[in-house]
Amino acid sequence: MTVTVESNNFIALADVALHNEDLQHAVGEGTRAAYYKRLDTMFATSSEHGESMRQQAAEAKRRALRDLPDLLEKAERNLEKNGFQVEWALDAAEANQLLLDIARRHGVESVTKSKSMLSEELGTNHALEAAGLRVVETDLGEYIIQLANETPSHIVGPVMHKTKAEIRDVFVHELGMEPTDDAEEMVAFARRMLREDFLKADMGVSGGNFLIAETGSIGLVMNEGNGRMCTSLPRVHVALVGIEKLVDTVEDYATLTQVLPSSSTGQKLTVYTNIINGPRRDDEDEGPEHAYVILVDNGRSDIYATKYAEALACIRCGACQNACPVYRAMGGHAYGWVYGGPIGAVLTPLFVGLENATPLPHASSLCGSCKQVCPVDIDLPRMLLDLRWDLVQAGESKVGWDMAMKMWAIGMTSPTRFNLGGVAARTGQHIMGEYMPGVLGNWTKHRDFPDFAPKPFRQLWAARRHSRVKERKNERA
Amino acid sequence: MSAREQILGKLRQARQPFTDVQPIQDRQPMIPMAGLSAADQLSRFISEAEALGCCVYQVSPNEAIEQIMDLLDGDKTVSSWDEAELPLPGLRGMLESLGVSVGAHQDGDTRLGITGVTAALAATGSLIVESGAGRYRSTSLLPDVHIALMRAEQILPDLESWEEAQRRAGYPAFTRSSNTTVISGPSKTADIAHQLVKGAHGPREVHVMILG
Repeated sequence: MTVTVESNNFIALADVALHNEDLQHAVGEGTRAAYYKRLDTMFATSSEHGESMRQQAAEAKRRALRDLPDLLEKAERNLEKNGFQVEWALDAAEANQLLLDIARRHGVESVTKSKSMLSEELGTNHALEAAGLRVVETDLGEYIIQLANETPSHIVGPVMHKTKAEIRDVFVHELGMEPTDDAEEMVAFARRMLREDFLKADMGVSGGNFLIAETGSIGLVMNEGNGRMCTSLPRVHVALVGIEKLVDTVEDYATLTQVLPSSSTGQKLTVYTNIINGPRRDDEDEGPEHAYVILVDNGRSDIYATKYAEALACIRCGACQNACPVYRAMGGHAYGWVYGGPIGAVLTPLFVGLENATPLPHASSLCGSCKQVCPVDIDLPRMLLDLRWDLVQAGESKVGWDMAMKMWAIGMTSPTRFNLGGVAARTGQHIMGEYMPGVLGNWTKHRDFPDFAPKPFRQLWAARRHSRVKERKNERA
Repeated sequence: MSAREQILGKLRQARQPFTDVQPIQDRQPMIPMAGLSAADQLSRFISEAEALGCCVYQVSPNEAIEQIMDLLDGDKTVSSWDEAELPLPGLRGMLESLGVSVGAHQDGDTRLGITGVTAALAATGSLIVESGAGRYRSTSLLPDVHIALMRAEQILPDLESWEEAQRRAGYPAFTRSSNTTVISGPSKTADIAHQLVKGAHGPREVHVMILG
């Protein structure tokens, strides 16, 4: 079962989102709130400390990717030592087939699922349902998405694009909830409904935020507790884990499992930070009797061999989505596949083929916020530019656009030329007014392009530094 | 060729990325806690746990039992870890003398769950629970109200120091439990219009009793 790719419809899908005021309001509010919470938590000690934690996390992921094949074998050995059964899947079809085989082996009829972006890539729900299994998403946001027959629009907040009234309507229409506008009542309703599913499910399917090679453990983070239910209550637990989720040591894990929620929702730790070491032990009367890990490639080993390997360091925190002005304005669905925002604009072409996602490398103003907020310092703007270059090489891009982008790339790499670019932009805006040409025209159809500052920051900074130096000289005198 | 061989083969054939990655010389914990006395750690733990929405009590064993009776509010079943796993001897007897059925009760209807903790973390106000014989996973998960019993000596500075202690104890220490959970406050969600609601699927109340 393949997942639909609509990324070449980006402009049209963006247009729909830009005409939906409710969506724009909901996404704007959600992303901005998370953006500021991240700042508070990541830099609670000092900006230097926050930055060094980011570098520590970046190093842990890059070191793990460098040694990936060795670490995968190490992880496999240690997972098995803990009693996990380890399976490997090249693609979505194989992964889903393995899941189905496990389900059949254990006579599984119903499945509870905790949030997993990988399972969205794989189309797991459809594959299991097509085979006659009952599958229930149990993260509240994913539950609503499943009931509404939609796809998640944000990595962390899948239902970020919906208003409270829209969610109420989903519960009322799909499950016959008594109408209410009280979020607490809606949560209590969902809790009651899902509680029954948790208790009677035969198999729980989870993702894995981290796979710790040296201990053979799956690290899961969650706030609601649904992941604990899915991995503790059913007879069988299966973790779907992308091969890039490896970390080497427990120290690396300690850094990453804190940097992830700090960057994502501004929590020091999620409510539940779960470390899973296999099935129940002989002296336990609770927990799954059988625990499996399916290591999934699904295109990752192709990316590994390219200049885009850095994209595999992503820990799916959603910070780049929260920071991105393009994502903020229209949410994730316009990107047309599983991942939206800057990381989606990079991952989608890599996973589904550049020819199936030609507009996405352009779905960015290259403002650089995404790199700045990334907890593992992924150079998303660099990769977007490289993807644009690949488009040019493939003859997929118009000459004018190609030129503009090359200029932009050149301008960004030298301070002098950067300054000149600013001068040119200011002058250009005088001529063009508020309407921008090319792809930006679609953008400015719905909003004014902000004025360039009359004096560039670099000039203000130089002037300020100049006066500071003077002040200090005077003080000393 | 198996999927395993194909994946590993492809990765090994690829030009290895990030060969220039520089190891971090001076690893730092996420939240600096160095130099905090035991008393400082205790007060930090309390303030962090309260900020997460936990109710924290510093009580004698007798006061703890009184508090639990209050929270019991007439219920006739309580989900609990085995008595040997709790730092409060006599609790089970007291409850049973009142006609309360005390046990694992994994039915999903019992309102109150009582556990001990493996350790508590000052920097994040967290409780660490490890599953095992007599230490049920569901006790801190299914009930509406989770009561965690602990002693002040169980407080460690942070997640890093807990893991350091495990490393000193060797490999089996990390994996001695099939399921370890670091709990930081009551279950919550903000999926509905970004509004924070407690008690999404796990407990909506967490009461932490620090026994003196």
